[in-house]
Amino acid sequence: MKAIVDCNSFYCSCERLFRPDLREKPVVVLSNNDGENFAGASSLAPARSQPSLRSVVSRSDEAQRLGVGMAAPYFQARPIIEKHNITVFSSNYHLYGDLSWRVMQTLRTLMGDNDKVEVYSVDEAFLDLDECSPARLQQLAKEIKTTVETWTGISVSVGVAPTKTLAKMANRIAKKDKQASGCITVLATEPAIDAALRQTRVDGLWGVGRAYAAKLINWGITSAWELSNMSEEWAHTNMGGVVGVRLIRELKGQPAIEMEDELVQKKMIATTRMFGRPVTAVDDLKEAVATYISRAAEKLRRQQSAAGIVSVFIVPKEQDHMTGFRHGPNISSHASLPRPTSLTHELIKPAVELVEQLYENGRAYKKAGVMLSGIVPNSSIQGNLFVPHAENQNRFLMNTIDNINFAMRDDSVKFGSAGLTKDWKMRQELRFGRQSTRWEELAAVK
Amino acid sequence: MELEQFYGINYKGTKRFTQWDVPTANATGFGAAADDYMERGIDLNEQLIRNKPATFFMRVSGDAMTGAGIFSGDVVIVDRSVKAASGKVVIASLNGELLIRRLEKTFNKIRLIPETPRLSPIDVDVSGAEFSIWGVVTYVIHSL
Repeated sequence: MKAIVDCNSFYCSCERLFRPDLREKPVVVLSNNDGENFAGASSLAPARSQPSLRSVVSRSDEAQRLGVGMAAPYFQARPIIEKHNITVFSSNYHLYGDLSWRVMQTLRTLMGDNDKVEVYSVDEAFLDLDECSPARLQQLAKEIKTTVETWTGISVSVGVAPTKTLAKMANRIAKKDKQASGCITVLATEPAIDAALRQTRVDGLWGVGRAYAAKLINWGITSAWELSNMSEEWAHTNMGGVVGVRLIRELKGQPAIEMEDELVQKKMIATTRMFGRPVTAVDDLKEAVATYISRAAEKLRRQQSAAGIVSVFIVPKEQDHMTGFRHGPNISSHASLPRPTSLTHELIKPAVELVEQLYENGRAYKKAGVMLSGIVPNSSIQGNLFVPHAENQNRFLMNTIDNINFAMRDDSVKFGSAGLTKDWKMRQELRFGRQSTRWEELAAVK
Repeated sequence: MELEQFYGINYKGTKRFTQWDVPTANATGFGAAADDYMERGIDLNEQLIRNKPATFFMRVSGDAMTGAGIFSGDVVIVDRSVKAASGKVVIASLNGELLIRRLEKTFNKIRLIPETPRLSPIDVDVSGAEFSIWGVVTYVIHSL
């Protein structure tokens, strides 16, 4: 049996944790900038950009009932937000990251075995419940839910079923009517699974994208139940081979997608930000790119790998834009390195050269980003006899820098090319809300 | 209690959490010989934090608990996984506010008791008010 534990309106729940006055009140969280959507990179940018570019990334049930759409651009949701006096937060990734860790750590403690917990996203985790007797599943799900909520203050929904895909479906059903389900749906018997499949549309299934859903509906397969009755051969020819076969098996209750290693290494690491104001000087642009490289390289080292390709892109400000939505053309280029590396200075050098190539004098730029790809695990290069000795010294240097920055925070030590003034940096407003990670920002109690 | 049984066996406490769990925090420096005799030293987290994912810090603002040695500006360590028994100092959420008080629970009544003559106890009207226990205060950090 597999379970998925999914936090309810995660970002909103985090914001409410230290704000009991907002309990059962409509709340929405907006994205900070459009960079968050770039290549799946989770930007830890604290700063804000033009409100016109921001969108709703989390909404409480109350806000949803008032008609705030998910992923709605701010300008679209704004009339409803203002009319109902909905509380609006800017994304606060320090808080969400910490609470996410707490939720996952609670689950690991409950399961007693880290291998039985697969962190699927910031607010979801799969659990392996194979050792639990079927009769106890409902109670176990309830215990998991209660414990997470008591320990972390974050409410969750739990879906339990024989496979990951069915567990996802169970979770969806649990969330649809929280009152009735108590945020828990266990599909442990044939009839229960059958009924759930019948009430789920194919476009609501985990692993069925919009394009495939449209195709299926076109063929007259609208419910998950109908899809589950298709043969594996049919899926192989019509649903992308092995992927389709796995989906059908999962729907039939045969586990085909197993628990995965928790530390799945990212295939690429991107850092991208909007500038506070347009940047025209090439030096500012270089500083920005060097800073992004430092951040990305830090992430790279944290997952103990090295990158072989550095990409840089810069976005010029459109000369006569009509709305706040037009982007200038995305100018990008990449460089392959002689061998994969995780050393910041080895990555900064080609990146800065790329900026020089891409930069056009006289143009204003509003955004820049970097991406590290061609990522290989450190272990595969560490054993290389032909790596010069200096390499180890450098690794030691990087470790030291990472340690200092980890302890002191806010990039206490950095490379000179990343600049000291950061004129280009996004205007940072006075920040609060890191109640669980910063001494200066603890919640007050009277 | 069921729940305690449930996580009791598997719960390994926070002592198992060391800096080695953070890949970037693996400081090196001593030679190998000295390494053999290295001890980790005293770690306040070990003593003050029993259950890391459930432990939060909060800052006290006000004199409600001076009698209990908790002063304005102090930091309190709050454990959400500790059962809020009668007599414990708790963080209570009451009508949208976070309060630090001593909890008094009898069979039919919940009261929040301040430890200063300046304030009076609050009788919690459980049916009418928005009320919940946010967490239990386990330690106070007071600067001398």
